[in-house]
Amino acid sequence: MGSLVLEALTKRYGTSTAVERVDLEVPQGEMVALLGPSGCGKTTTLRMVAGFVPPSAGRVLIGGADVTRAPPHARNTGMVFQSYALFPHMTVADNVAFGLEMRRVNRADRERRVREALQLVRLDRLEDRLPRQLSGGQQQRVALARALVVNPAVFLLDEPLSNLDAKLRGEVRMEIRSLQQRLGLTTLIVTHDQEEALTMADRLVVMERGRVRQVGTAEELYERPADPFVAGFVGRCNLVEGELETPGGFRAASGALLPCLTAGAPAGRAILALRPEHVRIAPAADGPARLRAVTYLGAQTEYHVDLGGTPILAIRQTPGAEEPLRRLAIGDAVSVSWDASAARLLPVAQTDGQGA
Amino acid sequence: MAALVLPAGLLVSLLLLAPMLLLFRISLNLYSPTEMMVEATSAANYLRAVADPYYRQVLVTTLLVASGSTLLALLLGFPAAYWLARMQSRWKSFATVVVMFPLLVGNVVRAAGWLALLGNGGAINAALLGLGVIAAPLPLLYNTGAVVAGIVAVVLPYMILTLAAVIESIPRQAEEAAANLGARPMTVFRRVVLPLALPGVAAGSVLVFVLCMNTYASAVLLGGPQFKMMAPAVYDQFVRGNNWPFGAALAFILLGITLTLTVVGSAALGRRYRRGKLEEAA
Repeated sequence: MGSLVLEALTKRYGTSTAVERVDLEVPQGEMVALLGPSGCGKTTTLRMVAGFVPPSAGRVLIGGADVTRAPPHARNTGMVFQSYALFPHMTVADNVAFGLEMRRVNRADRERRVREALQLVRLDRLEDRLPRQLSGGQQQRVALARALVVNPAVFLLDEPLSNLDAKLRGEVRMEIRSLQQRLGLTTLIVTHDQEEALTMADRLVVMERGRVRQVGTAEELYERPADPFVAGFVGRCNLVEGELETPGGFRAASGALLPCLTAGAPAGRAILALRPEHVRIAPAADGPARLRAVTYLGAQTEYHVDLGGTPILAIRQTPGAEEPLRRLAIGDAVSVSWDASAARLLPVAQTDGQGA
Repeated sequence: MAALVLPAGLLVSLLLLAPMLLLFRISLNLYSPTEMMVEATSAANYLRAVADPYYRQVLVTTLLVASGSTLLALLLGFPAAYWLARMQSRWKSFATVVVMFPLLVGNVVRAAGWLALLGNGGAINAALLGLGVIAAPLPLLYNTGAVVAGIVAVVLPYMILTLAAVIESIPRQAEEAAANLGARPMTVFRRVVLPLALPGVAAGSVLVFVLCMNTYASAVLLGGPQFKMMAPAVYDQFVRGNNWPFGAALAFILLGITLTLTVVGSAALGRRYRRGKLEEAA
C-alpha cells in the first residue's frame, strides 16, 4: 500500500492536449474519483498511472517512488477495467491466481489467497467456471478479486460499474466502497456518473478538457463550486448569465434583478448559480413568473418557471393534495423566491480552448 | 434457403468431385506401354508408390518442405500479424493491402524473378563476383533452401491475414490486464495472446500446409530438375510418362496424407484450445 502523487502530469497527442498539468495527492487509504464528461482526460490520467500511456511531461509517484518511466508490470497497481478484461481461456481461480503466479507466490499460499479473495467477493463456489459462464455482476467481482489479491499499492477502477444494470450498480457501489475502506486501499476511480463519485469517493476531482476544475469533498463541490462548469456538473443547478451592478444587484441578461449576496464580488459579468432545491415558488395572481412545466417525480416535483425571460428550475417536496401548490396549472402566474445566501456568484467561464 | 448453395454446389460437384471420382477410378487401372491404360481394379499403383524408394523420397521431401515452410511462415507471420491486428492508425487498410500485394504477383512471374536474382549469373552472384568477395558463384538456387524461401514468400500473406483476423478479436484489455498483474511482454504473449490465438494458428497452418504440400511452380523453377516434390511428380506421370494410373495414385496419396495430417493437426490444436491448457503444456 502507498500514497499516489501526480505532479503536473501532462499528455499531448500531436498538437492536442488530452491531459494538462494535473496535480493530485491521494494519501494512503483514500479514495479519489476523477469525474468529468467523456473526453475530459480522466481515463488518460488513470492509464498514465497504470503505465499504459507514457506521459508527455510530469511525474507519477507511488509510495514515494517515481514510476513515471516504469513499465506497467513493474508498478504494482491493481486495475479493474471497464470491460473487466478477464482472461477468457482461464477459470475464475486461474484468473485470480495470475497476479500471484507473476509474483512467484508458492502454490499453497497462492491457493489460500485465491480462496480468500473469492470469499471476499462472495464467489467462492464458482472457482472452476470460465468467465463466459458467469453473469456480468459475477465477472465484475472476479475482476475485483483478481486486482485485490496481489495487494496492489494503488487500486485503479476504470468506470467499473458502467456495464451493470441499475439495481446491481447500487449494490456493487456499496460493496466496492466497503472493501476499499476495510482494506485501506489507496484508490483512484474514473467515472462520468456524478452519483457514483459522490457516494463512493472521499474526494472528487472534476475534470474538463484535460484540466482539473476543482478538487474537494462532495459537500465542497456541491455547496461551494469554483466555477459554472463544476456547479452544473455536480448536481443540478440554475446557471443564469448576467451582470453585477453596484449598487443594485445581479441583473440577468433578460433584465430581471435577482437576489444574491454581492459582498466581495467584483462588478461586471458574472454567472449566478442557484440550486433548484433552494428555490421556493407560490401561487400569486400578480406574480412575476409563469409556470411552464411541472414534472411529478413521486417524492419530489420539478417546476420549470419563466422569470421575466429567465428560465428557473425549482425542485420541491411534492405538496400534499390540499396544498395550493398542487392546484397550479401550466401558464399560471407564480412568485419565485430564494434566500440571497443560497445564490452564488461565479466568474464567467474562462474562454481557454473554446475554439478547439 | 438450401437453394442458395445450389449454384456453388453444382460447380463444385461438376469441376471437383466428378474429376476426383474419375481420377480415383483411373488410379485403380493398370498402365501398359502400348495401350497406355488397361481397365482393372488393382491396388498395384499404390503399392508401387509406397514400395519404390524414389517415390518414398519424393513424399518425404514434400512433407519436410511443407512442414518446414509452414513453421517458418508461422514464425515470420505471427509478429507481422500481431502488428497488423493491433495497428490503430489510418494506415491500417494500406498495410493490409501491402501484406496482400505478393498475391497479386503470379507464382511463375515471381519464381522467374528469383532466377534473375539468385541464379549463377543472377544479380547477387554477379555483384559479389564483381566486388571480388567470392571466386565462384554461390549455389543460391536449385536447393531445398531456395524452394522453402520461395514457398514461404507465396504463403506468408495467407498466414498473416488468417492470424491477424483472430488476433484482432483478442481484447487488447486482456493484454493490459496481464501486464497490470505483473506479466512481462513475453509472458503476456505466452499466457494470453498465444493461447487465445490458437484457433488462428490452427486455421492459418492448415491453409498454408495444404498450399505447401501442393507446391508446383516454386518446386520446379527454384528446385531445379533434381528436386522433386509430389505435385511435379504427378504432373510428370500424366504429361511426360503418359502413365495416368500411376499419376492418379500419386495424386490420391498426396491428397490422403494432406487431408489426414490437417484433420489430425487441427483436431489436436482445437482440443488444446478448448481445454485452455497451453500454459501447463508449455
